[in-house]
Amino acid sequence: MNARWWVPFAFLAPALVGLAIFRFAPIVIAAVGSLFGTTLRGESVFLGLRNYTELFADPSFWSTVSTTLIFNLIINPFQVVCAMGLALLVERPTRFVHIFRASFLLPMTVSIALTSIIWAIMLDPTLGPVNGFLRWAGLPAQRFFRSPDQALGTLILVATWKGAGYWMVFLLAGLLSIPKDLYESAAIDGATGWQRFWRLTLPLMRRPLAFVLVADTAANFLLFAPVYIITNGGPNGATQLLMFEAYQAAFAHLNHGRSLAISTIILAIILAIAVVELRLFRPAEGSA
Amino acid sequence: MTGFAARARALAFMRHAALVLIATALVLPVYWILMSSLRPADQIFRHAGTFGLETLVPMQLTFENFRFIFSGTFPRALFNSMFIGVATVTLGVFVNSMAGFAFAVFEFPFKRALFAVVLLSFMMPFESIVIPLYTLMRGLGWTDTYAALILPEVAGGLVIFLFRQFFAGIPKEIYEAAVIDGANWWQIYWRMTMPLSGPTIATASLMLFIHQWDAFFWPLVAASREELAVVQVAIARNMTLEQANWGALFASASSAVLVAMVPFLFLQRYYIRVVATQADR
Amino acid sequence: MNDLARRRLLQGGLAAGALAAVRPSALAQQTTTLKVVWMGWPDNQVLPLMAEFEKRNPTIKLSVERMPFSQLFQALEVRLNARSGDPDIFIVDSPLTASYAARGHLMELDSLIDNNRFSAGGLAAARFNGKLYSAPFGSSMQVLYYNKAMFKAAGIEPPAPEPAKRWTWEQVVEAGRKLAKPAENIWGFTFEQQERPYQLLPLGQSLGGKALSDDGLKATGFIDGPAFVEAFTFMQKMYTEWKISPPGQFDPALTPELFGSGKCAMLLGGTFVYDTLKSKFPNLDFGVAPHPYFAKGKPVTPTGAWHFGVNPRSTQKAATAQFVRDMLSDDMNVTWFKLRPYVPTVKAVWQREAALFNTDLWRIAQSELDSTALPRPATPGFREYEDILRVTLRDLQAGGNVAQALTGAAQKMDRELAKYK
Repeated sequence: MNARWWVPFAFLAPALVGLAIFRFAPIVIAAVGSLFGTTLRGESVFLGLRNYTELFADPSFWSTVSTTLIFNLIINPFQVVCAMGLALLVERPTRFVHIFRASFLLPMTVSIALTSIIWAIMLDPTLGPVNGFLRWAGLPAQRFFRSPDQALGTLILVATWKGAGYWMVFLLAGLLSIPKDLYESAAIDGATGWQRFWRLTLPLMRRPLAFVLVADTAANFLLFAPVYIITNGGPNGATQLLMFEAYQAAFAHLNHGRSLAISTIILAIILAIAVVELRLFRPAEGSA
Repeated sequence: MTGFAARARALAFMRHAALVLIATALVLPVYWILMSSLRPADQIFRHAGTFGLETLVPMQLTFENFRFIFSGTFPRALFNSMFIGVATVTLGVFVNSMAGFAFAVFEFPFKRALFAVVLLSFMMPFESIVIPLYTLMRGLGWTDTYAALILPEVAGGLVIFLFRQFFAGIPKEIYEAAVIDGANWWQIYWRMTMPLSGPTIATASLMLFIHQWDAFFWPLVAASREELAVVQVAIARNMTLEQANWGALFASASSAVLVAMVPFLFLQRYYIRVVATQADR
Repeated sequence: MNDLARRRLLQGGLAAGALAAVRPSALAQQTTTLKVVWMGWPDNQVLPLMAEFEKRNPTIKLSVERMPFSQLFQALEVRLNARSGDPDIFIVDSPLTASYAARGHLMELDSLIDNNRFSAGGLAAARFNGKLYSAPFGSSMQVLYYNKAMFKAAGIEPPAPEPAKRWTWEQVVEAGRKLAKPAENIWGFTFEQQERPYQLLPLGQSLGGKALSDDGLKATGFIDGPAFVEAFTFMQKMYTEWKISPPGQFDPALTPELFGSGKCAMLLGGTFVYDTLKSKFPNLDFGVAPHPYFAKGKPVTPTGAWHFGVNPRSTQKAATAQFVRDMLSDDMNVTWFKLRPYVPTVKAVWQREAALFNTDLWRIAQSELDSTALPRPATPGFREYEDILRVTLRDLQAGGNVAQALTGAAQKMDRELAKYK
């Protein structure tokens, strides 16, 4: 669109100033900080890439990376599919749909920290109601977060419990903005429900889906509270995610340089994946 | 024809079954919080390990937990978070939609680089930027003020991204027609595009409000004295190392959930209106 | 006496000034505000304490931030990292005294603290390099709680409250195996804090093990020595082989609920649990006994709790000094004890509230403090040490080679402790 040169910048200015001061500047400081270490008295010491080389030489770092990648490879598509499913379920105005929609939104009102505390209790091997129910039903009690095999999966489910409704909101907005007559003409043309979904709905949902996928990717790589509150990276490192490792480096091992290095690596990974995701979902006309 | 009708009925049944099951799974923990807040202290966990009617329905009810927290500093925390949330939403909807508009509609130098900055802003672990941010707050003299809790959260990369996605979906011809009609860009943004963006504004408001309602670590670091403490900090205070006041924890959590539901109900009614108009087409 | 006289004079002067209708601005010039980062203890326990201080010191206002335990240390780290005068006073977990002091975050307090008034343990926990850096505000002690009804039903003679008749760990396990019915979700014994070094180091120390080298910088050869390997293997069996303890109970706020609702026969926990049980579970018939020990070793109990410290960069030297003196005074320490009953470090409190301390629980506590209490190892790297050990102790519950796990942990600890050499 043509406009005087300063118009777009006028629109951008307030947000960009805010982002520059409160996000971008601290991010740059943090990234640069990853090239330094601190003495006990708080002085900075230039280390070059030493924080990174030490990380790369540490086998536990790589095991954390692989756990994190596995976690994200599963949870990202899973959450998007769940969110899409929920959105489709409540798209049409049937009876009680607003009650169901409200119930889907309910987990959003509970903070992630509180979610973690509650689910830790609900899934507690001894005191948890879920195991109480299983015992009553004659099924064996599960260890959930206390089992090295089940912990990561349980984490995925709890994070999805919290996130599905949230991401659904964006997809629902997208679904609701598709004109209904498009569906009608497709139905007249003889397209089945499934075909209508794949050929009509999904392509028109490119933008909301791109948004949800990128935002969800970032959110899941940055997931922290449940690991901190419930599993502490365990059992036996089963839930040792990169974000938690960055946190541990800073606040438990008091090694800020190392923590910043891990954070910068996380940033790079998220950005790389986001770029790929945006490419995949770019509308065909290339007008995005 | 019978086969088709039967299939349609089966699908409808499955749809309803799925809705009920999912709704139950999503509501159950919240129900547990609410129910536990009404239980006397020794009953909260007594029936949890075994399953029975008592597990789901409290036989003894008490409002003591609510009385306790509302006679303390909790109401102030509720107010603080409400105020911070509303202020952030009010400022944030404008600031971020304007930026999203710029990215969606115009071509300008450094557009890609600037958009990358926007994306970057929500991809960095917060723990790594909290120290420089805190130092900045000190420099600006904002520590211990509402400003520190509101202003850094107004501009949000994710919200800009959201608006940009939506605005980019509006056909170019509409903008071109408006320009030909002699409208300036502010008028196009304010009088044409924004009114069309109801659901997106509602969603953006939700994102900003939730982000502030859930905020914990940053308010703790930047401004957590009594008069400014936010709701999540007040809730978390119920757990200390040596004791946990579970009743007060659940009561404050329930209160926070109930208060946060208010904006959601508004959003719900908005969606119903949109869906109703859609169905009429 | 001098302080009291000076304070009376100040109060008298202020009162006279108020009566003479001094202009508000002149009065305001005399008030200083102290920024205090405190623990997120409940409203009704902290606010009266701070109000009492302000009443005694009308020219000092306290701006108190009560941070929840879950993120207290982390938020403090961010604040202290800025190396400014904010906060003036902050809460210090006693074993972190060395960590903060080594990094220049605590002011020396020797001139403000009269050693004779405090217990030896309290002072030891406050020292780094021979000087006092934190104010011994309170301490802690652990006792063995047992469910009288469950013991009677199983026909087992419960442990006696006299320290001389202290039970051994072997006796605890024996009783636990008779009392536990894991299939029915009934357990014999649990630690209050199943993963924390505070709770579990005494096991190895009871067998003569040392948790860390004397200079606090070397873990290999100490935490992975034979005493701790044996002790933690014993602990592991409680979960894996004997099945007397419910595994995975890492929330110290939930284990008392287990005990209180009759799902666990014995709980090794702090003096706080007593109040929790009395107020939440009034119908529970329970008794207290001393902390167990290994038959071939000696009794060791954990101790140490919340101190507070002064920021060396604080600009309010006089006000912070006053805060230290007042909070550690006999009167205010008694007030604090009545609000939140931490084991007192101020000797006078024991004498002044002798009636309160005349119970099994407090008799045991006092005896342990005098003879068996051992604070956590003094090291500037305590945060690192504790965090690594926590993870290891958690993971041990599921099984696995104890010696290997401890050696791995010791290596990690040494790596992190190296920065303090």
